Amino acid sequence: MFQIIRAPLLGAVLSMSWSGALFAQEPLDVAIVAPNAIGDVGWDHEVVRGKEVLEERFGEKINVTVIDSVGEGPNATRVMNRLVANGTDVLILGSFGHMSDGLALAKRSPELKVLHIGGYQNLPNFATFTTRHYQASYLCGMAAGYATKNQQLGVVAAFPLPEVLGILNAYVLGAQSVNPDLKPVKVVWLNAWYDPPRDRSSAESLISQGADVIYSLFPGTPSAVATAEEKGVYAVTTLSDNSAHAPTKHLCAGQANFGVVYADVVQSVIDGTFEGKDIFAGVAEGAMEVAGLSKDLTEEQRAAILAKQDAMRDGSFDPFTGPVMNNNGSEAIASGKTLNSSEIKSMDFLVEGIDSRLQN
Amino acid sequence: MMDTIIFVLAGAFATATPLLLAAIGEAVVEKTGVMNLSVEGMMAFAAAVAFAVTYQTGNIVLGFGLAVGASVALSLVFSVLVLAFSANQIVSGLAVGILGLGLSSLVGRNFENLTMMAPANLSPPVLSELPLVGLILFQQNAITYLAFAVAFLTWWFLARTRHGRITKVVGEDPAIAHNLGFAVIRIRLFAIIFGATMSGLGGAYASTILTPGWSDGLIAGRGWIAVALVVFGTWRPLRIAFGAYLFGALLLGDLAVQATGFSVPPQIMTSLPYVMTIVVLAAVSRNALLIRLNAPVSLGQNFRPSK
Repeated sequence: MFQIIRAPLLGAVLSMSWSGALFAQEPLDVAIVAPNAIGDVGWDHEVVRGKEVLEERFGEKINVTVIDSVGEGPNATRVMNRLVANGTDVLILGSFGHMSDGLALAKRSPELKVLHIGGYQNLPNFATFTTRHYQASYLCGMAAGYATKNQQLGVVAAFPLPEVLGILNAYVLGAQSVNPDLKPVKVVWLNAWYDPPRDRSSAESLISQGADVIYSLFPGTPSAVATAEEKGVYAVTTLSDNSAHAPTKHLCAGQANFGVVYADVVQSVIDGTFEGKDIFAGVAEGAMEVAGLSKDLTEEQRAAILAKQDAMRDGSFDPFTGPVMNNNGSEAIASGKTLNSSEIKSMDFLVEGIDSRLQN
Repeated sequence: MMDTIIFVLAGAFATATPLLLAAIGEAVVEKTGVMNLSVEGMMAFAAAVAFAVTYQTGNIVLGFGLAVGASVALSLVFSVLVLAFSANQIVSGLAVGILGLGLSSLVGRNFENLTMMAPANLSPPVLSELPLVGLILFQQNAITYLAFAVAFLTWWFLARTRHGRITKVVGEDPAIAHNLGFAVIRIRLFAIIFGATMSGLGGAYASTILTPGWSDGLIAGRGWIAVALVVFGTWRPLRIAFGAYLFGALLLGDLAVQATGFSVPPQIMTSLPYVMTIVVLAAVSRNALLIRLNAPVSLGQNFRPSK
């Protein structure tokens, strides 16, 4: 009986001291969890690089903790619980595989705010975020269309998932927009996020068949890029500027800037306006941009690419505007129609001019 | 189409090289009756060391040397456990393998996702200009030639030399070998060191020549494939070499077929090497005589010489 009365009292005292702490301007604790070891390019590098943007913008007002090499599984559960127990206010999860753990944690800790990159489920305190990488890949496609001499592009891609298909389709549409003579684009699916020897072999295989621009679409390592440099063909990359791995042959990169979105989310937490929404950010928000353009492109070509980027920024151009044909001959996007966000996120076709078939 | 076939036939040698080196090493170890399951860990540790050293110094020979040293050092830990303290071989091998993987992450931490240029392949004059054969056989890396030479020499050593026969006797029945006056422990130690040297070379090759770069998890199960190849080749070096080449070709075939735009479900192609392994292992296991003739009888059993 005694205890039943005491429990709410205790709760009230605790919550008072909690709000007192907030008024005392305790810095906000932000934690970023990355799934793999941090390299100088690629997914985990970008996930963690967002820290710099946060520190620059919020300075003393926040504390940012970064933990890497936390793949999905029991270890991730342990690390996340620990972070929350240590008073983390905003948790940024950098792996699709962190989804179920993050959701469970968000349900248990209503005070916690979670930003999950790459997922598709939301809660009032669990927001998701995906980049419109396809916008940058359209621009890199233009660069590839300009640069190819053999009219043959090759792509080393991870998994045929909707996001990857979107990026691939936009890339090919971009190349076709500046080069009507393009041969069907060759694609090798790694069916893996991570397999450096196969990245390399895939690039070699494409080069042996005449491809002179290799697009490294989400393999976890710069192997395909380094291979392109070694064999003297151009490399196009996703997520990070890979110029260091292909000093002479880096043609174009879709550069992701996750930090812009982190900063918006942290600001919303400070303002008390955080929502568990689904953020889909691209060129307009500054979350994607074209980077590392090759010196081999002419001034006019660069200008055309950057002009397209500006058109994407002000909303006057969208890569997925019809008419667009499917590569099995049917119409994918009707004339005059533009795909909306959910249609882009559930893309299940390849555009005309891609020499690959989707199974099932 | 011809390009694709040549690409696969030539590329398979390169893909097979780390598998072959590690598998030959493991075959010799198993021939003395010791099962060393730390191949994956030794390869990973050697790969990290080879990349780190070569990246820093630009000296690939030094990189290979230190990589082999690292691999051998790990195998000495295994040797102490198994030969001196008669610890369970399976458990010790797994433990040392996990240690190797951990050390590879540690050494590779500052080199994550870095790449470098691969050294040029050896193209002997005349031979490399032969049509077709030249393209397939004679434009490979020095280590690839070495790997196939090692397979041949190991066959010759085991089948044709006195020391080879002694090695096999140790694996068949260490007690008899001991009674005949052979130093069982010392022979097993040499075999383990040889195995580690080969794993080290294979790992170093993977991170400096096959895929000149480092990322955590680079070896990605190739050490386990090597262990499976030993059974696949029924402990015979030349069969192991054939198996490694076949595996290499299948690993590449998947990618090359896709690049031609040919429509085979990629999942089928990707799983083909593993399906093949299971089929061959099943076929090999069905033939009890083949296993009985070739498998070392004392495999996995420790031996402690009585005074």
